[in-house]
Amino acid sequence: MPASHSEYKLLIIASLIGVIGILAVSIATRSVNITVLTVTASLLFLPSLVRYILTKIDYNNPDPLLLPLTIALAGFGLVMILRLKPNLFPMQSTWLAIGLICFVISAKVFRNLEKIAQYKYLCGIIGISLLMTAILFGVDIGGNKNWVILGPVRFQPSEFAKIFIVLFLAAYLAERYELLAFATKRYGPFDLPHPRFIAPLIAIWGLAMVMFVLQRDLGSALLFFGVTILMAYMASGKLSYVILGLTLFLLGSAICYKLYPHVGVRVDIWLNPWSDPSGKGFQIVQSLFALGSGGVMGSGLTYGFPDLIPEVHTDFIFAAIGEELGLLGTSSILLLYMALIYRAFKISLICQKPFSTLVAGGLAVATGLQVFLIIGGVTKFFPLTGITLPFISYGGSSMVANFILLGILYAISETRAKNA
Amino acid sequence: MHKGASGKIHVNIRRVAFSILFLLLLLFIYVSYIQVYQSNVLASHPLNRRNIEAMRKVEQGRIIDRNNINLAKSVLDTTGNFSRQYPLGAITSHIVGYSSTEYGNSGIESQYTSYLTGSGNPERKLGPITHLWDIKKGNDIVLTLDSNLQQVAYQALGNRRGSVVAISPHTGEILVMVSKPGFDPNHIDKEWKSISQSTESPLLNRSVQGLYPPGSIIKVMIAESALSGKSANFKTIFDCEGSLKLGSDYTLTENNLKAHGKVDLEEALAVSCNITFGKLALQLGRNNMAKTFDRYGFSKQVSEALNESYSRMPDFRNLSDGDLAQTGIGQGSLLVTPLRMAMLASCFANNGTMMKPYIVSKIIAPDGTIIEQYSPQDWISPVNSTIANEVRKMMIGVVDNGTGSAARIPGVSVAGKTGTAETPSGSPHAWFIGFAPADNPQIAIAVIVENGGYGGQTAAPIARMIFDKALH
Repeated sequence: MPASHSEYKLLIIASLIGVIGILAVSIATRSVNITVLTVTASLLFLPSLVRYILTKIDYNNPDPLLLPLTIALAGFGLVMILRLKPNLFPMQSTWLAIGLICFVISAKVFRNLEKIAQYKYLCGIIGISLLMTAILFGVDIGGNKNWVILGPVRFQPSEFAKIFIVLFLAAYLAERYELLAFATKRYGPFDLPHPRFIAPLIAIWGLAMVMFVLQRDLGSALLFFGVTILMAYMASGKLSYVILGLTLFLLGSAICYKLYPHVGVRVDIWLNPWSDPSGKGFQIVQSLFALGSGGVMGSGLTYGFPDLIPEVHTDFIFAAIGEELGLLGTSSILLLYMALIYRAFKISLICQKPFSTLVAGGLAVATGLQVFLIIGGVTKFFPLTGITLPFISYGGSSMVANFILLGILYAISETRAKNA
Repeated sequence: MHKGASGKIHVNIRRVAFSILFLLLLLFIYVSYIQVYQSNVLASHPLNRRNIEAMRKVEQGRIIDRNNINLAKSVLDTTGNFSRQYPLGAITSHIVGYSSTEYGNSGIESQYTSYLTGSGNPERKLGPITHLWDIKKGNDIVLTLDSNLQQVAYQALGNRRGSVVAISPHTGEILVMVSKPGFDPNHIDKEWKSISQSTESPLLNRSVQGLYPPGSIIKVMIAESALSGKSANFKTIFDCEGSLKLGSDYTLTENNLKAHGKVDLEEALAVSCNITFGKLALQLGRNNMAKTFDRYGFSKQVSEALNESYSRMPDFRNLSDGDLAQTGIGQGSLLVTPLRMAMLASCFANNGTMMKPYIVSKIIAPDGTIIEQYSPQDWISPVNSTIANEVRKMMIGVVDNGTGSAARIPGVSVAGKTGTAETPSGSPHAWFIGFAPADNPQIAIAVIVENGGYGGQTAAPIARMIFDKALH
């Protein structure tokens, strides 16, 4: 099939980004070892193998861009991890491989997505429980209290919770979207939805506020709350949801700002990191230095000094890309994400059933907001939040969770082809 | 394609999709702004350690004086990084500066970092492509400084706090710039605490940042203003009774209350008569005095590169008679830098024109190509050459027959003016400004010794040693 042929070609091109980058770093540091060579070889053929396995489980016409775009992003991630923390490179490569396996499993499991809608409350409970474990048992690693340690394993539950919350909200809203659109009550100039239907909205707002205050995790709080109100808007078409949501969030944030000093500090750093550039503003100022020093062309891989930024391999990996690959690198990353998010929305727009439509739309929103929050955070466009850059930051939870998310989108894109 | 129940949802999703993609587009524009428009500011920010880290990887250029003597050079250490060495140590510490991974850079080391490391070279904009021909060596910075004279000045000041600035009057080249106490830039990391916390402020470059009352050396300018404004000529006789009562609460006095009697302008300058110059300031008036200081450039910055402190001028409009007379003898709230006083001397040595002072003459690439060359530039001409030459002759008189006799050199005519500037903190500051040879000036100088007592006793001999070395 010609369509599938070009997808293989795209996959090879995407793989080459990572392969060439890894070789460039190895040559520049004069250290080529067996691990690096194995990863390079695997990176060349593994994505195509994954695509081939998918045809065997009856994937004939999925979205041809999802996988190549993701492999290109993951390639950038591998290159940067090898450059920044060479000893974490084998682990990150392993996580990428596990991620690809999870992608295949997810694509298989979610092929019958509509059936998942029956288990919506289970999804909701799992999602909320995951967030609660992070809130209750969260451990501070690198400034973010969103890690949970279970014996030898440590993971970030919020990365997985994202998927379950989207599934729950999509199912909940798909059942009621017509009611939501009409069952409103007027409060003065506002046309607000009936209290019965905004209950989950209020609940997730409360949860977000708790995350904000207890975990100092402004990123996750914004992400979950943003996804909730935007999905509510998608289902109802009522702008009042968004306005109500934003008002609630700003109100809550303002109260937190007054009551809790650590929240205030975060906002103050954002407003003026230069007032304390070697103390509280250190990380963001270092990040800006990296981006500025990189300029348009960048210093070249291994020729910059991204190690001056704390946590550079996780939250701040975008700044390292900006320093060594310049605006060329950062704009490539942004364009890849924009293309990926565009495709995700496109998939949701071709779906016929409300549930699938909302799942794809919700996952697109979640990814888009996450990318915006973390890149905006490290560039001082937005207050800094501790969340990962999907497919690029170091970390197993993030890699696996995002590949599962990708598998769901992939499954929906194939379903649409069948129905059409 | 059949319109499903989700048709309405699609419309909403399309709006959300546009909003999210619009947010990312805004972010894209913002990141471009940071990496293009803000790039230079962030890359060269003093807190950005990248320049210091990068410096350790390349062999930085040398900083050399006008006779090709090394003032700073890079040496490869055992860890494979380069470190900086300063052969003259504390003697050139304020000009050359220091280079520390911990505490940053100062002086030429800081101002010319991008040239010294080669990171400012235009091909640098090509980013990674430059690694194809790897810049391994930076450019040399050639100074106008004469390190032999610099050493003489440094030793002549001895253990006293103070500064010496010498300029080539026809070009503005800075030949000497010593500030004491100095510090040893070779041990900046080890001795940082004691250096930075010392009450004697060794890090301060007194030559351009020290603000002092000029005392009597300002009288050469007042004399010029009186001659130019025709409020006095060479025949005018002033009567000095040793003190002058001004208003109800202020009396201007001579040192030791000694009356000079009847003196003309030349004699008054030679003996540094306070009463005469107090009277001249009052005659000139607030407006003319303010204009005189303006003419000599005290209200504007001479050069950004020299990092000079602004002079402090009194608020002439609201000055009492007593304060106005004080300004005429260089006291009161007037504060100036030693560099400015050297420039004042150079003005009368150069027929009334002040050249723009500069300290870097050339920047040379490793292959010998001259990347930048700085040439002499007129700055201001506050006085015409006739009157400048009249003042010059009076200044010769100061050294030949007056308070400046300690600056005399056999066989060479020297022009000068001494100053003994009262200060609230202990003994007065000793000043001397001057130039030599007076008929064809090669060097103009300002010497200040903090709390050094009489200018004629403490500062003039230091100037003589430097003149002697420069002219022989």
